[in-house]
Amino acid sequence: MTAHAHVTADPAEVGESPLVDPGEVLRAMEYYAERGWTDGLPVVPVTESYVAEFLAQTDRDPDDVVLSMPHLNRHCTVRLAAINAGLAGCRPEYFPVVLAAWESLRKEGMAERGIWQSTTGTAPLLIVNGPVREAIGLNSKGNVFGSGFRANATIGRAIRLTAINAFGLRPRQLDQATQGTPGKYTSCIAENEEDSPWRPLHTDAGLAGTDSAVTAMVYRSCIHLEARHTTVPEQLARDFANTISRTGSLVHQTISALLVLAPEHAHVFDRAGWSKSDLRQFIYDTAAVGRDTLTAVGKDAVSRRTKWRLPADHPDAIPDDAEVDADTGTVRVLNSTGAVQVIVAGANNAGVSAVIETMGPRGGPPAVTRVAPAPTPPA
Amino acid sequence: MPTVSICTDSFTVTAQAMAGVYGFPGFEFVTTPHPVASLNEEQIRSRVADFMPEVLRILGVES
Repeated sequence: MTAHAHVTADPAEVGESPLVDPGEVLRAMEYYAERGWTDGLPVVPVTESYVAEFLAQTDRDPDDVVLSMPHLNRHCTVRLAAINAGLAGCRPEYFPVVLAAWESLRKEGMAERGIWQSTTGTAPLLIVNGPVREAIGLNSKGNVFGSGFRANATIGRAIRLTAINAFGLRPRQLDQATQGTPGKYTSCIAENEEDSPWRPLHTDAGLAGTDSAVTAMVYRSCIHLEARHTTVPEQLARDFANTISRTGSLVHQTISALLVLAPEHAHVFDRAGWSKSDLRQFIYDTAAVGRDTLTAVGKDAVSRRTKWRLPADHPDAIPDDAEVDADTGTVRVLNSTGAVQVIVAGANNAGVSAVIETMGPRGGPPAVTRVAPAPTPPA
Repeated sequence: MPTVSICTDSFTVTAQAMAGVYGFPGFEFVTTPHPVASLNEEQIRSRVADFMPEVLRILGVES
């Protein structure tokens, strides 16, 4: 046996090493890497017996299809989802959340229609609510978009590895992303329900607070918004609205967004008596861009075929149907209050929030999906 | 209806992969240099003139 190399300089953190030959583990990891079954990072070797531990977490048949891509004639089964969750480093008890994520992605719809192959280079974002967060150690607080939490890191990664291995969406082949986004490695966050003044996302959709849920969205980018300068709710909300309405994201006539508010920002609104709905209404009313600005960037019309924004003198151009505000000369960038969703996440330690630039549904309800509890093992 | 697929050369690998997915490895299609979206009408006409012989060849049109 080869001795383990210790990753820490602190003798108190070393502890007992497991009695396995790391050389054998390395050989297995290299085998997976050589076959291209990875996202570039090493994956966890998965055996039949280990897959069985994942499959024991669900009543579903291993051959059930969790998501299809008809244009590729490829289908992901419960079993393929389990194998890739194992490869990603999930523990078996995370698997009900992974399955709920697949069901939410299916309901959301864009993955099945091929968005993961687009040059746009989107990533799936998973939002987890309910008691499962604590049960499996999902982070909803400090560094929520960052590293350091196995459940967040590996549940998000399970989706990516499945996209690569089950659907064959390898970069520069069937995945045509021009640049992609760092979120393609993994994007799974939990809502900080404990520090939020409002009801959590899944209960807005009619589930009980005691239910757990996953809500999948397709996103293009995650924009940092640092606002420690004001406690006036209108000023803070306009800062969000201004970030949402940047022209670079205005590919179509309207866009959609998810506000991930730090608790501190959520409480600014709550203290002023604003509900989540009040905030969404205000954002809908104020997220706007000037007609002159649209003209300046060559986005003052839309294509008659694709409805993408383009210059008014383009041969395919037709006028958009956005209504101009007579007082401000601006047009709205959101088509409804439903086009902006709101959750609370992150530490309660500063006025730092994020605007997630999502893609569709522009105004439809989010794909909130209940996590089915694991079957009770026979006594 | 006889059809020929045309894409920019940036998508050659993806197009070949899709042809393989559908069971037609080696399926013939036409490529033109990337990009196309930013060309004006005159440049588009020039591109079409450039690749039209290849379109006709794949269609089996004899000159």
